[in-house]
Amino acid sequence: MKLLGISRITPGLATVNDIQREVVPDGKGFLHSLYTSLKPDYPKFFKMDLHCKLGFLATELLLEGTEGRFEPREDRAVVAFTHNGCLQNDLEFNAGCKAENYFPSPALFVYTLPNIVTGEICIRNRYKGDSSCFVLPNPDREKIQECLECVFQDPVTTSALCTWVDYKSEEDYEAYAFLIENK
Amino acid sequence: MNELINEIKLQIIDALNLEGMTPEEIETDAPLFGEGLGLDSIDVLELIVLLEKNYGIKLTSPQEGKKVFASVRTLAEYVKENRTK
Amino acid sequence: MTVRTAILSDYAITPLAFGSEENLSAYLEGRSCLRRHVGTFGIQDPFYASLFDREQVEAEAVKAGIPENYSFFEKVAILAAGRAIEASGTDPASPRTAFIISSTKGNIERLDNCPGEAPLDVPAARIASFFGNPSTPVVVSVACISGLAALIHARRLLTSSTRYDRVVVCGAEAYCGFFVSGFQCLKALSANRCRPFCADRDGLNLGEAAACMVLGRSDDTQLAPWEIVCGAVRNDANHISGPSRTGEGSYNCLRAVLPHCEERPAFVSVHGTGTAYNDEMESVALSRAGLLDVPVCAMKSVFGHTMGAAGILESILSIKSLDKGLVLPTPGFTGGGVSYPVDASPVPRLADGNSFIKLLSGFGGCNAAALFRKGGAR
Repeated sequence: MKLLGISRITPGLATVNDIQREVVPDGKGFLHSLYTSLKPDYPKFFKMDLHCKLGFLATELLLEGTEGRFEPREDRAVVAFTHNGCLQNDLEFNAGCKAENYFPSPALFVYTLPNIVTGEICIRNRYKGDSSCFVLPNPDREKIQECLECVFQDPVTTSALCTWVDYKSEEDYEAYAFLIENK
Repeated sequence: MNELINEIKLQIIDALNLEGMTPEEIETDAPLFGEGLGLDSIDVLELIVLLEKNYGIKLTSPQEGKKVFASVRTLAEYVKENRTK
Repeated sequence: MTVRTAILSDYAITPLAFGSEENLSAYLEGRSCLRRHVGTFGIQDPFYASLFDREQVEAEAVKAGIPENYSFFEKVAILAAGRAIEASGTDPASPRTAFIISSTKGNIERLDNCPGEAPLDVPAARIASFFGNPSTPVVVSVACISGLAALIHARRLLTSSTRYDRVVVCGAEAYCGFFVSGFQCLKALSANRCRPFCADRDGLNLGEAAACMVLGRSDDTQLAPWEIVCGAVRNDANHISGPSRTGEGSYNCLRAVLPHCEERPAFVSVHGTGTAYNDEMESVALSRAGLLDVPVCAMKSVFGHTMGAAGILESILSIKSLDKGLVLPTPGFTGGGVSYPVDASPVPRLADGNSFIKLLSGFGGCNAAALFRKGGAR
C-alpha cells in the first residue's frame, strides 16, 4: 500500500501533506471559512451534519485541483473510520423527539448513520466503487491497516480514499483524509 | 398575503439550510421542487414538519403535499386557509 | 490450494424464536411477531414492528451470566454470539479469533442517560471482552447492509492473511423511540404488515434481532458445510436516502458476484423492504443482471427490517431453507408492484441448486451482494 497524500483538519488548522492551507476567516466559524476558501460551490454542504461536513472538507482539501477528478469511477473505494460518528447529530435529532416539543426532523434523521459521510463523498466525486464505514475506539494504525488490507481484496479496487473523522464539539474535532494506492 | 409569503420564504431558507439565499431570490410562483429551488425528497418531509410546527397543519403523506408545495404562493394560500396557529 | 471461507456455525435470535432452526420452523409455520404497537417506547402514533419480549431476553441474559448493567443491545448480541461460538468449538479468548460487530445504532437507547456509551465501539468492546477476547473488535456500520458488509469483511480478513483462524460476526439491532420517531418522520413505516414487491406496499416494519455466524478457513481437502464464495459492496453515488432508479449500485454488486456462480443460484434472498423505492430499484437491478427468472424471497414480512442484523439473519435463514431444499415464501406476496416482475411466492417452493445470492441496499447509497454455496456440491 502506498500513501499518495494526506490532509488534516483540527480547530483553526487545515493542512495538506503537512503544508498549512491558508483559510481566510469569514466570520462564520473555521469550517465555514474553510468551505469558503475551497470554493466547492456545493450548496448540499450546508444540509450535512458536522460529521459529514468535516469528512467532506477533508477530502475536498486533499483532492482539490486533481485532474479528471469528477469522472465516474468504480476502482476507488471510500472508507470511513470514526469513534463518535454522528453523535452530535444524534443528540440534536433526539432533542426533537421529546414529548414536550415532539417534532423529529427527517433532515437530521438521515444523518444519524455514521456511513452517510461515505455516501456524500461518493456523490460529490462520482465514485461508484466499494464504500464502507468502520467504528473504532481510536485511530489505531494497525487496525486501520488491517481494514484497508481487506478493502483491497476486492479485485476492482485499486485505490482508496479514506477518512478518520471525529467530531466532539466546536473546540474539539479532528479529521484526516488520505489516499492509498494498492501497490 | 405578501407578509405571509415573505415569512414562509424565511422559514424555508432556515429549515432547509439554503445558505446565502435571500427571500428575494426565491420566486413566489416558481416550482419549489425539480427545477426552481431544486429541493429533494427529504426537503419535502422537512417542509411537512415545518407546516405542523409553525402553523399546526398536519399533512399525512408527501403525495398530499404535491399540490401544496407547488410554489411558495400555493403554500402560502394553503397555510392561510388551514392554519390552526 | 484455494482458501475457502467456511461457515462453521450460526445462531439467530428474533422475537419469533431463539435458534436458527427454530426460526426456520416458525417461519415455515407461517408465524410472525409483527404486530401493531400503540404507545410502545412512548410513541403516540401506532406502528407495526417485531419486538423482543424484554422480560424473556433479560431472563435469558441472567441465565447466561451477562451482567445486569449491560445494555439490552449488548445482551441480545452476547446471547446470539455465545451460542454460535459454543456450537463452532471456537476459543473466543484466543488472539487468533477476531470479533466483528454489525449494527446501525447499537446502544442508542443510552443516548439520554449515558451518551458516552452510544458510540458503536463501546458495546462492541463489551461484547468481545465478555468472551475474553484480547483484540479490538471492529464495528461495521453501513446502514442496512451492515450485516452483509460485515460478513464480506470477515471473509476478506480470513483470506487476506493468516492472522486469524476464526471470525465471530455478530449483527444486532434493538429499538427505542429514536428509531421509530426517525422512520415515522421519514414516512417510511407501513401502518400494517409490510408488503414487499406488492402493488399496495407503503413502507417497512422495524424488526429486532441478533444473529451470529462463526467463520473459519478451510482448504479444498476439507468439506465445509457452507462457504461464502465472494461478496461485493458498491455505492450508487445517487442520493443519501434514495436509491438510484437504475439500480446501479445493486446491479454493480451482482455484476461482481455473478461470474463466481458455477450454477444458476437457487434463489436470490433480496432486501425487499416494502418501501416504494427500494423494491422498484431491486427489480430493475435484478432485471439488468438477467436474474428475473431466478426465484426470490423477501423475509421482511416475517421479521421486519432488522437493520444491522438483517444481512446475517437473512443469510442464516437462506442457508437453513436451502438445506431443506426450499425457497422461503414471502408471506402475503401478491405482486404487481414493480416494473420488472420478480419471482416471489407466498408459499414455500422446492429449490433447484446449491447456492444463493444475498442482496441488500441502504442509506448512504450503499449496496451489497454475496454468493453463498453449499460445500461438497461441486
